[in-house]
Amino acid sequence: MSAADAEHDREPARASTHRDELVGLVALIAAGVLIAAVGMRLLTGPLATLAVAGLLAIVATLVVMAIAGGPQARRRLAPYGLLKPGILWLALFYLAPLFTLARESLSTLPSRFAVQAEFDWSIGNYTQAFRDFGPQFTRGFAYAAAATVLCIAIGYPLAYVIAFRGGRWRNLLLGLVVLPFFTSYLIRTIAWSSLLADSGPIVGAIDGLRLTSVFEALQIMDNDRLINTPAAVIGGLTYNFLPFMILPIYVSLEKINPALVEAAKDLYSPAPSAFRRIVLPLSLPGVFAGTLLTFIPAAGDFINAEYLGNPNTTMIGNSIQDQFLVQNDRPLAAAMSFVLMAVITVAVFVYTKFLGTEELS
Amino acid sequence: MSAPTSGRGQIARWGLNVYAALGLIYLFVPIAWIIWFSFNQPAGRYNIVWQRFTLDNWSDPFANSDLTGAFVESLKIAAISTSIATVLGSLIAVALSRYSFRGASGLNLFLVLPLTTPEIVLGSSLATLFFDWDVSRGFTTVIIAHVMFQVSFVALTVRARVRGFDWTLELAAQDLGATPMRTFWKITFPLILPGILAAALLSFALSIDDFIITLFNAGSLSTFPLYINGSFRVQFPPQANVLATMVLVASVGLLMVGVVRSSRRNASDR
Amino acid sequence: MTSSDRPRPPFDRRQFLRRSSAFGAAGLSLPALLAACGGDDDEGASTGATGGTDETTGATSPGTGGASSPGGTGGDELFFENWPEYIDLTEDGATGTVDRFTEATGVAMRYTDAFNDNVEYFALIQPALGSGETIEPDIIAPTSWLAGRLITLGWVDKLPLDQVPNAANLRPDLQQPAWDPTGEYSLPWQTGLTGIAYNLDATGRELTRTEDLFDPAFRGKIGMLTEMRDTIGLILQHLGVDPSTITSFDEAAEAFEMLAQAKADGQIRAFTGNDYLDDLSTGNFAACIGWSGDVVQLALENPAVRFIIPEEGGNSWADTMVMPKGADSRDAAAEWMNFVYDPVQAAQITAYVQFVSPVAGVREEVAKLDPELAESPLLFPDEEMLSNVKGFANLGEDVEAEFDAAFSDIIGA
Repeated sequence: MSAADAEHDREPARASTHRDELVGLVALIAAGVLIAAVGMRLLTGPLATLAVAGLLAIVATLVVMAIAGGPQARRRLAPYGLLKPGILWLALFYLAPLFTLARESLSTLPSRFAVQAEFDWSIGNYTQAFRDFGPQFTRGFAYAAAATVLCIAIGYPLAYVIAFRGGRWRNLLLGLVVLPFFTSYLIRTIAWSSLLADSGPIVGAIDGLRLTSVFEALQIMDNDRLINTPAAVIGGLTYNFLPFMILPIYVSLEKINPALVEAAKDLYSPAPSAFRRIVLPLSLPGVFAGTLLTFIPAAGDFINAEYLGNPNTTMIGNSIQDQFLVQNDRPLAAAMSFVLMAVITVAVFVYTKFLGTEELS
Repeated sequence: MSAPTSGRGQIARWGLNVYAALGLIYLFVPIAWIIWFSFNQPAGRYNIVWQRFTLDNWSDPFANSDLTGAFVESLKIAAISTSIATVLGSLIAVALSRYSFRGASGLNLFLVLPLTTPEIVLGSSLATLFFDWDVSRGFTTVIIAHVMFQVSFVALTVRARVRGFDWTLELAAQDLGATPMRTFWKITFPLILPGILAAALLSFALSIDDFIITLFNAGSLSTFPLYINGSFRVQFPPQANVLATMVLVASVGLLMVGVVRSSRRNASDR
Repeated sequence: MTSSDRPRPPFDRRQFLRRSSAFGAAGLSLPALLAACGGDDDEGASTGATGGTDETTGATSPGTGGASSPGGTGGDELFFENWPEYIDLTEDGATGTVDRFTEATGVAMRYTDAFNDNVEYFALIQPALGSGETIEPDIIAPTSWLAGRLITLGWVDKLPLDQVPNAANLRPDLQQPAWDPTGEYSLPWQTGLTGIAYNLDATGRELTRTEDLFDPAFRGKIGMLTEMRDTIGLILQHLGVDPSTITSFDEAAEAFEMLAQAKADGQIRAFTGNDYLDDLSTGNFAACIGWSGDVVQLALENPAVRFIIPEEGGNSWADTMVMPKGADSRDAAAEWMNFVYDPVQAAQITAYVQFVSPVAGVREEVAKLDPELAESPLLFPDEEMLSNVKGFANLGEDVEAEFDAAFSDIIGA
């Protein structure tokens, strides 16, 4: 390859799109759409066969273009070729299912024990989701929010200490943080159900220190019980998602130039002021990422509520699971899933805006 | 960072360290429980209350054949799905980091989507798709489901690892006369391999432990987490603790190997 | 009058089983002869016991079972899916019913306890049976109301009763029941009583009424069943309503409100299926609604556990054997049903599970094994007991839907 070509390839952005690139991108998108359409049975029978044929034709065309076009064309088309398998997999098994779920949510079951629902654009499932499961939705988001806040409270200082005071032990400490992740999520939760059990060590300690009434007043314990309470569920959520908060915060803290912090301390003493003005804003992207990675899965979780909760602490995840697997009302479960996703999206959107204005000020 | 000299500053600094240490301990309490209780001999069928110390569970960790069978299924599924996902995901990662092309940012967003969708939605939507196709849920559907979320994970992880990679090395090799294929296998691949292996290890762990997505798509197949959940009403054998500890130790071991090798490489680079 | 007696065997259960297996073995020859008179079956040729019952768990993992996978069995193994603790096992020198059956008839058998709750189990089999496919088990044991629903939906085959002469031993009060008017689709496995189980160490006092479940002192320590008819049935009787004559939801509305209130107040720790026994034993449940045989079995191991039929009234129910559509081991199934309807074999089962046998003439057989057990009103209800327990009415599909919807709203999921 000539030096000129090498120069050209190292250019960061391209003002105009080369024809090959355009073709590659369009081909990729078209292939994805086709396979998703077949997947969600928008195209069936002969149309589906046609679509698959079209897919193969697209791939073949790209290959031909790459071979015939020379090294430059190959270079431009290469990424699209590399992307194809993975993107097609995702199109078929992520996008198509979502659309199928959407269609299911707008369907109704013809009779109580029917297996297949009929698509009829009805929004009955959505109204039922709002009407019957309001408390579960609220609880799901409330518990997830509480757990997220707790994760920040516990995780941020830990990430801070590792990032700024870890020294050569950093990687080891990070490894330790990630370590619990390698045991089974379920067994970790069962561990808590044993630790928090009525006859377990923690309740024993609380009773021994005569703090029971304090905890009951704080609504953490209920009638000398620590497990099967909302506190236990929130505790479980906090514990299970803590690494997801610590890691992003650590990453953003680590990127901060220590010299910057030194300068800030010289300018703004005492140290907490320097922290508030320099370190905290710079770490916000990490906090943002950590919040997303904690709140979103926690909102849909049902394991903690199942193992550590009681009938009054059911979250929306429990309800969706129950409707889908026990009541076999898949349209309703689908509607509830979409409402969950919609609310999460809105919440994330609001949160992003909120953080955005923070940074501006 | 210079240490504070004032007394109050010292206390605050010390306080923060202690608080962080407590946080770390908090992370490990259940892990300690899991390991400790793997040595328990429970009175009944639930390994929840400490009875007495025994090595029996470790001398016969596969005593519970249903549990072991489910564990083996989990291993099989994880092995297959991780292999597929690593290939697909690495291809994506290479495409994203090696080339600059139109649509890259949209693609980034698309890749992040499966990771930010609640697992319950991922699981139920796939199950609905399989219902729609009249495909019975079992081994294959679980693998498909696992690959789906692993691909995003691998792609993003490998890409993050590969970010600093100096692609001009490839040009140098080709200037010296190597074909593109040769360049890739001899130069590029060995250098990005550690990143790929790390991503593979992490997604292997994700697959073994996955519960929610698997629950919706397994049909009557039993994986390790599914078995524990299903049988928890009736029993919780100490062998479950033993197997979980084994997975933990194996993962730690592999990680340590990786850490040692990379630090050795870093040392030799200097 | 409350019935709080626990049957007290004169010797411990293991000794008892060892002795009784001798009786059981003696009774083998007759049913075997009868079974051999049945039509051609290649199953008779296969010998050897299977690993029928696993002492700790079923052959498949509980909760998933073989039910949700479509397709029949290979045809040479009889697959029976049942509730837990519902058959005598092979342990401590005694041979369990499954193994005795295989010895006697040569039919290999697979027995699992995949049932935890009727609604849950129905959800497992619905996708397959609803699409016209077959499920793995040859015999399943739903509670009567679920059997009735399966019969109405046409998802079960008629039983090969012509090959089951011992079916004549069925108790008269169970013949041609409301859920199976022709009597051709189901044969009861066990019947039982629903009452209140409590842990004396946890409650600190004896309980006598359903009302005790709502005592604020036990807040957060009460368990109730996900089985709607049992939970609501008990509450209905506490409110003076007879559950066996209910026809509309309005009659039960007050009971649902009472339950909803108790749940909102935090009275109820959990709604369980068959899995309340461990929590009861450890005292996590000070008291719960439970099933007679289960609790009586538990009481033998843990003397603090008691079972009572509440003063206001308890429930009676039946779990019944049905064959899902397309089950192919019909001859083997017939042999099994014939075997367990022999009073001698049925007595073995009853003595272990401590439920009320559907087979007439069992009492005399049990008396030979354990005279005191034969006098227990929980196993052999007398007039007084029978007057204090009610079945649940057969609800029409729409009314049942109302009940189910209201109930699932309350139990929280």
